[in-house]
Amino acid sequence: MQANAEAEKLARVRLNFFGCMRSDWLLRLMSLYGGAAELLKRPPAEIAGEGGVSFATALRLAAETAAADPEQELALARKAGVKVLTALDDGYPELLKTIYDPPLALYVRGELKNMPAAALVGTRKATPYGLRTAARLARELAEAGAAVASGLARGVDTAAHEAALAAGGVTWAALGSGLNEVYPAENRKLADKIAGSGGAVISEFPMALKPMPANFPRRNRVISGLSLATVVVEGGFESGAMITARFALDQGREVMAVPGPVDSPMSKGPNDLIKNGACPVEDARDIAACFPYGALAAAKPAKKDESYLRPPAALKELSPDAGAAYAAIAADEKGLNADELAQALAWPAQRTAASLFELEVAALVASRGGRYTRV
Amino acid sequence: MLAKISTLALKGIDGFFVSAEVYIASGLPAYAIVGLPDAAVKEARERVVAAVRNSGFDFPSKRITVNLAPAERKKAGTHFDLPIALGVLAASGKLGKTPPARLEESFFIGELALDGSLRPVAGVLPMLLALRDSKRTAVVPAGNSAEAAVSGVKCLAASNLKQVADWISGSDGLNACGMVPAAEAAGSGPDLSEVKGQTFAKRALEIAAAGFHNVIMVGPPGSGKSMLAKRFGGLLPPMGLDESIETTKLYSVSGLASAGRLVRERPFREPHHTISDAALIGGGSSPRPGEVSLAHNGVLFLDEFPEFSRPAIEALREPLEAFKVTVARVKESVVYPARFLLVAAMNPCPCGYLGHSVRECSCTPLQVHKYRARVSGPILDRIDLHVQLSPVKYADWEAVPKGEPSAAIAARVLKAIELQKARFGGRDGRSNAAMTAGELRSHCALPEGASAVLELAMNKLGFSARSLDKILKVSRTIADLEGAAAIKREHVIEAVQYRMLDKSEALAGI
Repeated sequence: MQANAEAEKLARVRLNFFGCMRSDWLLRLMSLYGGAAELLKRPPAEIAGEGGVSFATALRLAAETAAADPEQELALARKAGVKVLTALDDGYPELLKTIYDPPLALYVRGELKNMPAAALVGTRKATPYGLRTAARLARELAEAGAAVASGLARGVDTAAHEAALAAGGVTWAALGSGLNEVYPAENRKLADKIAGSGGAVISEFPMALKPMPANFPRRNRVISGLSLATVVVEGGFESGAMITARFALDQGREVMAVPGPVDSPMSKGPNDLIKNGACPVEDARDIAACFPYGALAAAKPAKKDESYLRPPAALKELSPDAGAAYAAIAADEKGLNADELAQALAWPAQRTAASLFELEVAALVASRGGRYTRV
Repeated sequence: MLAKISTLALKGIDGFFVSAEVYIASGLPAYAIVGLPDAAVKEARERVVAAVRNSGFDFPSKRITVNLAPAERKKAGTHFDLPIALGVLAASGKLGKTPPARLEESFFIGELALDGSLRPVAGVLPMLLALRDSKRTAVVPAGNSAEAAVSGVKCLAASNLKQVADWISGSDGLNACGMVPAAEAAGSGPDLSEVKGQTFAKRALEIAAAGFHNVIMVGPPGSGKSMLAKRFGGLLPPMGLDESIETTKLYSVSGLASAGRLVRERPFREPHHTISDAALIGGGSSPRPGEVSLAHNGVLFLDEFPEFSRPAIEALREPLEAFKVTVARVKESVVYPARFLLVAAMNPCPCGYLGHSVRECSCTPLQVHKYRARVSGPILDRIDLHVQLSPVKYADWEAVPKGEPSAAIAARVLKAIELQKARFGGRDGRSNAAMTAGELRSHCALPEGASAVLELAMNKLGFSARSLDKILKVSRTIADLEGAAAIKREHVIEAVQYRMLDKSEALAGI
């Protein structure tokens, strides 16, 4: 029996190399023959005849799985400190098993703890509003004892992961590439940090698979599938975040959205979700309220903290000049660049530069392409 | 018979003596030029025959050999026509049995037209400067008369071969070259007060002019990058005579000194981004100065900087570091001075609208990263000032007050430059931007509060250690503009503001 289980796991890892077919099809074929090991023994003609797939697809399945070497793959994973889980293994997340197309194999670097999670997703081109809201929600979730799931992309994803880590919480990043090909490359250090602090970097793709556009929507179903609720922070109509929201709906999970300004293109997606009945999110209590009763029993949601509505405490320690500059910058949602600030206050360059430096060092404002916005 | 005529040739921007020797022997008619002539010199053969005949002389049907000595050095240009023609006339006895003193003691330069008239040539000023100490006379084409006069050498202007031949035989037909009065430089250029807003960009240009710092402007299309750059020259101090002569030499060698005046205004060169690296730096099989040398003692403005070819951008490293360009060829290598202030301009991202107040940027972070990476680190390292520009909103246009006039800024700049002259012992071409590591230590000591600023910039804003030197240099210039002996905290803070491209990428938000 033990040997059989081992062989079935290897077969599933092998079958997982057939990347062009959705896992629900593969699972259906597996159930038809009673397991991946059995499926792989069948000739393509039989699979095509009984499984309802074309002969060409069956041929490709046979060819591509035959070319894979699951033992070498497992050795590669071991070398990188990665566990490979199938639905047969204990650590495979129960919640993920309940979606209709769970990954055949899950590569996990770090630790996939059994805890309630919420997904924070959004665009790579987030506005300062989206970044700071994602960061605050992630922090509050972490403090409430929930894991923060996201996709390690630039923008909202990165802000969510970083804030959860900073709050000492657990965060999970699901990749659209193999774990040896972390994308984007500048987030490699972030991935290491996530795996090293009680969280996990996960992927359903073979270790060495390079990032391919088609695989990113697929990994989104893993993000929503690991989570009780999916919160869209920012994104356009057609963004990946909206794809994740759609997956969450299909999986029967809660879809929530952060309301945004009506004239911001990056809030089109979440505002549309709210119009269609998604729960608007102001803080983590809104998210926790949608969790099943008792899901967050271990830790109460953080007490009502609305400090973000008040001016930051650091403001009190500023010089009068920097205070005036902060007021001018915060008054404009789109922010100001150095020149506009100098003009608005009728200050020379040197005086303006000094107050900007003070604000930037105090992390009260941040610049993007030369525009300063409040953090 | 043998004749020797003195003339000059160019290597780089320095002239050297050449003797055009013409030997006419009896034998089958033949005619050859030796002494490493280039194509233009070889063609002198045909021009000289026609010009001599059309000036009313016979061209001897004999065996003629022309040697340009020293024979091992390459000769280029069309100005050997006149000495060769005179050599033929002298060797065939048309100028008298014994060579007249005027032929022996004078230098001759000029290109001949087929009718015997003299055409202006390139490089007259640098060639004549080689004669400065010799007290000898030079005969040049009338078209080069004003340029020749600048050299301070005794020069005569001739308009055709016949005139020259007559003068050699004793007539007084040639006029001395006279100076053309230089156009007054002051007040002629566009003024910085015409640019509204752009407080930081103007301030950055002021600092750049004062410390000879290179500057890069980053801003969306239409934010006034080239408008600012064109007004930058007005902030620089007027050119000294030595600077003028050096720049005029480079213009003369390139055949651009046709107005025949000394270049008194600082050059402003604005090559298009499709320029080849050879045209930018200088090169060619017979080397010519590139745009960097034509901008010598002035401003080189490179708009759309990342669009320049990689080799062109990388080739800027030598002149930015050494203030000269060495064009090495197998047979010779030539050095052109190239001490220019680089003003580069670029968009913040490929579409140009990153950080724009109204329009949305449509670039992906990767595109922005790749665009910025085209300007390599080593080049960015040689640019001390980075400044962000913003488009002026039309609504604000009327409300924005006019800026300071260029003259007021130039006065501050001049004071700062005087301070630097005293600091570096009056050596020419030294500036805050060119400080060595040792000088940096002795001239840029920081007070207590100011070094804390650098630490904050590194820890909180993600500045690299190598950008700290630039911040120090710029702080020194800012202090000089105020006439302050020691760098203060606020000087350093302002300098930090001009190192925008050094902030770590995550913090810069791209």
